[in-house]
Amino acid sequence: MPNSDDFRVKRIKQMLLEMAQGNFYHSLDPSDKNDNVATLIVMLNMVNEEIRASFIHQGFVGSKHTPQHLVQMAFIIDTMGMIEMVNQNTCSTLSAFHTELVGSPFVNTLTEESQRKWLKKQKSITNRECSDSTMDLVFKTSEGLLISKNCNISTFGGKTESPNKILLSTILFTKGESFAKGIWGNALRPGKESKVPRVKLSHEDIRKIREVHDLIITNLDHQLPHLKDLAHQMGTNEFKLKYGFKQLYGTTVFKFLIQERLRKAKTLIQFSSLSLKTIAHMVGFKSIPHFSRAFKEKYGNTPSSLRK
Amino acid sequence: MKKQHENKYAIYLLTDDLLHIIYKKGKSIDLEAAQIIVRDRMVIQEGVSLLVLCDIRELRIVNKPARDFFAIEGSLFIKALAFLIDPPVTDAMSEFYLSTHRTPMPTASFSKKSEAMDFLQKATMLAAVICMLPWNI
Repeated sequence: MPNSDDFRVKRIKQMLLEMAQGNFYHSLDPSDKNDNVATLIVMLNMVNEEIRASFIHQGFVGSKHTPQHLVQMAFIIDTMGMIEMVNQNTCSTLSAFHTELVGSPFVNTLTEESQRKWLKKQKSITNRECSDSTMDLVFKTSEGLLISKNCNISTFGGKTESPNKILLSTILFTKGESFAKGIWGNALRPGKESKVPRVKLSHEDIRKIREVHDLIITNLDHQLPHLKDLAHQMGTNEFKLKYGFKQLYGTTVFKFLIQERLRKAKTLIQFSSLSLKTIAHMVGFKSIPHFSRAFKEKYGNTPSSLRK
Repeated sequence: MKKQHENKYAIYLLTDDLLHIIYKKGKSIDLEAAQIIVRDRMVIQEGVSLLVLCDIRELRIVNKPARDFFAIEGSLFIKALAFLIDPPVTDAMSEFYLSTHRTPMPTASFSKKSEAMDFLQKATMLAAVICMLPWNI
């Protein structure tokens, strides 16, 4: 029974095992139930997403590993929607055998909602000779775990007049391999003279830096005090604040403030009739030219062009 | 002033200074959905900040990009926000959201509508005082 406690607890166990192995891209169907097991499932899904996100920003900053974008799953699908080819990674990701996937309908790998989305999409793209697009789909593994992915979808035709096919692939953002061992490793490893961070952040430092982050988020429209004063107010020093913020959030305090102000400004420009001057002041910019310049730098267009 | 609006994800009921948003059953909220929800809310409000009562009792999935969007862009023009919840699932969801995202306006969850309304009225007064303090550390 898919909604029985036993069944759902088994799924939770399976997902925890995946997490223990470092796989944070699964999720579970929470169902319509409003009970304790459903609560656990909802919490587990959200914790999993938060861990995945923190690996991206914390795990990569100052890392000696090269971040990589790898093809995780790849399908070639014919005009009838049947799978013609999958890569080996797809089989292990979906916990299915190659023979089970090849020759079966692609929709079988998706959740019900994604099946509807996909069938609509498939109809619209199969007649196109060449096209590239993206869409969010949720895959289900044979163990019942869900994998939500942004998929790249390309249609292509061969030299002959054979019908078009679809290439669907998903990307995994990963920390990648460490430096190689042996002679190549020595050649690639940073030398003694290269800078190694000397500051060690304690849990207390990290807590204070997170407080600064929250303070910025909740006071975007106020002017940021001088970093030295802000650091002292929070019980730390300017150097630790600057260094720690970059380590934790991958950007400087000032750039973060501007970025968050611009996010709000963009929404206000799009969905309110307030003047650009009012918006600039509302999100904390004192000077309009500075606001326009920062906006164009981030979004590629001036604020006024977004209104047209 | 009374207004009503509906989209794929929610129903909006606007009275003088309160916007009541009721999420529909069985909808999974991703970034695209969150953008539609916030866009429609802002269009209804016409640039006026309001108290918002958000009935999330039927919600089950709000993914991280959507949660992040609600916390920043989605906080515009809201004086105070009360979630109407139905424990245990939506209670856990709102608690998780509030502990991982700092929102600039007073926000809390209630399982009784009367308590939520009470909070919104009190929070308006409190927000007015807080707004006067620069960098309220």
